[in-house]
Amino acid sequence: MKYQSQRVAYWFFASALLLLSLQIVYGFIMGFARVGMDGLHEWIPFNTARATHTNLLVVWLLCGFMGSAYFIIPEEADRELWSVKLAYAQLISLLVVGVIAIICYHLNIWEGRKFLEIPRPLDYLVVVNVLAFLLNIGMTLWLGKRNTTTSLVLYMGLLFAALLYLPGMVTVKNQTVDSFYRWWVVHLWVEGVWELIMGGILCYLLIKLTGVDREVVEKWLYIIVGLTFLSGILGTGHHYYYIGAPRYWLIVGGVFSALEPLAFLGMAIYALAMAKKGGRKHPNRIALTWSLGCAVMSFVGAGFLGMAHTLPQINMYTHGTLVTAMHGHLAFWGAYAMIVLAMMAYALPLLTGRKLWDTGVASFAFWTSNIGMVGMTGALAVAGVTQVALERRLGLDFLIVQKEIEMHFVGMLLAAALFTVGIGAFIWLFIRHGLPSAEARAEDFEGAVAVGK
Amino acid sequence: MLSKSQARVFFLGGTGLFSAIFLALSVDSMRQIPKLTRQDQLTDQVVRGKRIWEDNNCMGCHTLFGEGAYYAPELTQVVARRGAPWIKLFLDDPKKMFPGQRKMVRYGFSDQQKDDIIAFLTWCGGVNLQGFPAKPPLRDLMRPTATTASADLAGQPEIFRTICVACHSVGGVGGVVGPALDEVYKRKTREEMIAWIADPQGLKPGTAMPKIEMPVERRIEIVDYLLGLARTPATAAPVQPVRPAVDPKDFE
Ligand code: HEM
Ligand code: HEM
Ligand SMILES: [Fe+2]
Repeated sequence: MKYQSQRVAYWFFASALLLLSLQIVYGFIMGFARVGMDGLHEWIPFNTARATHTNLLVVWLLCGFMGSAYFIIPEEADRELWSVKLAYAQLISLLVVGVIAIICYHLNIWEGRKFLEIPRPLDYLVVVNVLAFLLNIGMTLWLGKRNTTTSLVLYMGLLFAALLYLPGMVTVKNQTVDSFYRWWVVHLWVEGVWELIMGGILCYLLIKLTGVDREVVEKWLYIIVGLTFLSGILGTGHHYYYIGAPRYWLIVGGVFSALEPLAFLGMAIYALAMAKKGGRKHPNRIALTWSLGCAVMSFVGAGFLGMAHTLPQINMYTHGTLVTAMHGHLAFWGAYAMIVLAMMAYALPLLTGRKLWDTGVASFAFWTSNIGMVGMTGALAVAGVTQVALERRLGLDFLIVQKEIEMHFVGMLLAAALFTVGIGAFIWLFIRHGLPSAEARAEDFEGAVAVGK
Repeated sequence: MLSKSQARVFFLGGTGLFSAIFLALSVDSMRQIPKLTRQDQLTDQVVRGKRIWEDNNCMGCHTLFGEGAYYAPELTQVVARRGAPWIKLFLDDPKKMFPGQRKMVRYGFSDQQKDDIIAFLTWCGGVNLQGFPAKPPLRDLMRPTATTASADLAGQPEIFRTICVACHSVGGVGGVVGPALDEVYKRKTREEMIAWIADPQGLKPGTAMPKIEMPVERRIEIVDYLLGLARTPATAAPVQPVRPAVDPKDFE
């Protein structure tokens, strides 16, 4: 840790892990409901559990992104954070808004639009919160001594993410128009600006961990995020096929979304190539493992499994089935959950001064959570494909088909248990690192590792 | 190879260009959507139904236009599939309609609210979704043999036509939740059928068939209709359940 103010990142990371744990609890509630164990139905019906599960996901990822930015930006800009107080105020208010939203979901108060369930008044608070964050980071960059591409891309990603939240806040009468703009938030986030955030963080980690020349890494960053927008913006069309929008979206969305995996493939190849090229070995191997894992798994989950159902001829039958849920899990995990966990694995020893990076627990956490998540994805894939065949192609009744595929959810729950053990190990390691310490010294890649105590 | 500044131009230029195209197509979409969605039929009642849909987060279990959650059925065509009377009965007490199955919240909607929801779903069913949801391409191959002439459908009692067909078929028309009833007269006596409709759960705990309240005359009317099917032999040849492996035309 080079600047004392980077310490705020620790609290964002800790909050993120807390919210992740809660997300998993709600995942299990839904998983059990699907195998008939729905004893909580009176208090937590499926729609409550689901809104809570997915909103916690989004909030913990945002928390992780903000923490990452608070760690990266001071270092890239070469100065302390503009306002540490604002950062803490912003974290606390974000958590308060999140908790209120979740309580509302349990009281049947929400907006009832997938992924954007937060009640409208709270939306405004989220906007204020994010503006405070952007101001803090922006001022730090503005007053900083350096302007790097990495920090610029990261900042642009965060800024556009905030701007794109706004189209989700219009109220319209027409369901099709409603849906049309909902995707400006949901799709343009995960298949657009969030990829900038991911690219920025990945770039920073690769520079730190592999020692490859910044110019080379950053040039590729531009090319890859260029590919992202080239394909991803018009790729929004893959959500416009069957919602009442004009027919040309079948062609536009089909062609451009089919190009989207290229950006993820580029990211994977680039990360692996840089790791290979980097001569000197950084001692924090596990952070590199998470970074490369992220690059590879995002290609598998988002690129490969996204491609699997993005062509309109296929999407006609998979649209709105468990095939989508299968893709959703591995894509969010590979691209966004893993980049946040990679950042934590890298930053934590520097924040706390404890070098717990080469332990068996660290590797165990990585492999167990990944194998668990791949298992969950596999179970959802079998369930989803069976659903498509029986319901969409043979025309059997929905509930009959759901009974048929119930056993796959037992499999999914077993894999989810494994996943949870992996996350448990990660959290345990996080706690063992202890609190951030003022004595933790910058561990510079050039020099010797000089970690406090 | 590209230099860093060229890479930056690629990024900024590409983003600008494709954002512009996207915005232009979005403007055009907004021009076309009123026609594609029959906006002229989007009445206040439909809008009220949409608000009920949102206020209760129905999308948190169901899909509409294929969007939402995967816990409960797709509802875009539900009015065509089940009919308004069935939907109203169902909303009164969802658990009763699908006993022992996956649960839906019992919201206690007023009649007005139920009408609003149905108006909304009816409007959704009329939107041009470019062919979604597709007719299941293999359904016809798997249809149970329909032995009843289609002419008999006209004689169906009101309650049978509006409620029972949501799950059962006669003459190949109707739902696929319960068995086809064309030949039920061969399997059950008159008394058995009347008793069964009165209380399916009592006779076979765990069955998916709900107890639907109706006066005994209605039950008798239904059963007599089903028994009557025995007297009207099929005019058409039974539908082949599977496609023949070899097309006879190949030998001509
Ligand atoms: C990290 C990136 C990605 C994430 C986090 C992600 C996540 C998701 C999620 C959560 C959904 C469900 C949305 C909803 O129904 O409300 C979804 C849908 C979809 N995704 Fe992705 N995705 C990513 C990248 C991609 C890519 C690169 C492709 C294509 C190549 C793709 C193709 C699709 C398609 C076609 C659907 C619609 C499924 C349907 O019709 O039901 N996704 N994605
Ligand atoms: C123990 C772990 C988990 C379990 C048992 C679980 C289970 C579930 C279930 C049952 C659904 C609802 C699907 C439906 O509508 O029927 C769901 C949705 C979702 N979950 Fe999880 N989940 C878990 C962890 C995660 C994690 C770690 C992530 C992200 C990294 C995640 C991301 C999502 C997303 C994005 C959706 C919405 C998918 C869509 O709409 O297509 N889940 N989850
Ligand atoms: Fe998308």
